[in-house]
Amino acid sequence: MSNPEQKSSVPTPVKFVLGLAMMAGGTYLSVSGTLDSINKPLAEKGIPIDLGITVAVIGVFLILFPVIQSFYLNPLQQAIDERNNDLESTFAEVEELRTSMTKMRAEYEQRLAEKEAEARNQIQTAIKEAQQLRQSLMAEATERADAMVRQAEIEIAADRTQALTEIRASVVNLSLAAAEKVVGETMTSDRNRKLVATFIDELEVAK
Amino acid sequence: MADNRVAKRYAQALFRTAKDADVIKAVEDDLNGIANLVQNDESFQEFLMSPHVSADEKIAIADKLFSDRITALSMRAVRLLLEKGREAEFVNLRDGFIALRRESEGVVYAEVVTAEVLENDQRQKLEMQLAKKTACSVEATYSVDPHLIGGIRVTYGANVLDGSVTGRFRTLREVLLHDVLKQV
Repeated sequence: MSNPEQKSSVPTPVKFVLGLAMMAGGTYLSVSGTLDSINKPLAEKGIPIDLGITVAVIGVFLILFPVIQSFYLNPLQQAIDERNNDLESTFAEVEELRTSMTKMRAEYEQRLAEKEAEARNQIQTAIKEAQQLRQSLMAEATERADAMVRQAEIEIAADRTQALTEIRASVVNLSLAAAEKVVGETMTSDRNRKLVATFIDELEVAK
Repeated sequence: MADNRVAKRYAQALFRTAKDADVIKAVEDDLNGIANLVQNDESFQEFLMSPHVSADEKIAIADKLFSDRITALSMRAVRLLLEKGREAEFVNLRDGFIALRRESEGVVYAEVVTAEVLENDQRQKLEMQLAKKTACSVEATYSVDPHLIGGIRVTYGANVLDGSVTGRFRTLREVLLHDVLKQV
């Protein structure tokens, strides 16, 4: 909004002097009754107006208007202008912020998309690695289980063989112990002498 | 404690001296008598081994016991052993002396174990066969071990001739167990 004082074509001191002149002239005309010839017909026609007083009041307005303008209208106009300026700068800032936010949002959405793509790739890679690990673990476990089975079979066979051997050895020992007992019970001096004689004779043969 | 190496050195010295003096048989008999006394008489063994009896006292007692019963050479050997505190070596000395004598005479020593006492005719025949087999004269000691059940076992040098029932069963057991292991 523009300043009304700047737009006015009449300077303020001229208005002040003109106002004083009109106030003084109007008061004089009213008091002296110079304008009664005009005022009375108007009053008779239903228009009770005193032109001298009216001119004086216009002169008072001319004097008061610059005062009102400088002490009230101008500060008010200045406040309104400042407020308008603040609002304009605020709108500009808001617009700038909105632009910035739009840009940031676009960047954020782009980064988010990139991150999502990266995350998808990482997940795919992790899934692939997990599958490979699972396959290798499965293969290793299978191999280990097969080895354990083979080892168990070998051990079972060895235990079986050992048990069989022990049983056979026990049979041999028991049989020979029984035979030894029987021979001991049936051994006589004659038989013993014959055994010794045979030994000596064989000694001669084997010489 | 008996020390075979020490006893062997004493036996070698005594055997050389006895051989030079031609008293090997007499010295061997003396050593056999003393060793048998040490092995079989506990009181004499305790006296001989006692650390509380001095060497001089032991020599004095030995003089009284043996001086008029054994040869002078044997007596000198006994005194020497006692002076040197080698009382525990009497038996090893005897064994070493006999081994040297057998080695010198080319005699084979055989240990014969039977289940029953072996009769003289069989002993003579056995020694004759062993002498033929080894081409040496044979000296044998005989003992009885009922665990043999029957038969005879002869050990000489590093050889063992086992004709006992127990030995034959042992051989049979080894053969059978070997066969059993082969079958597996």
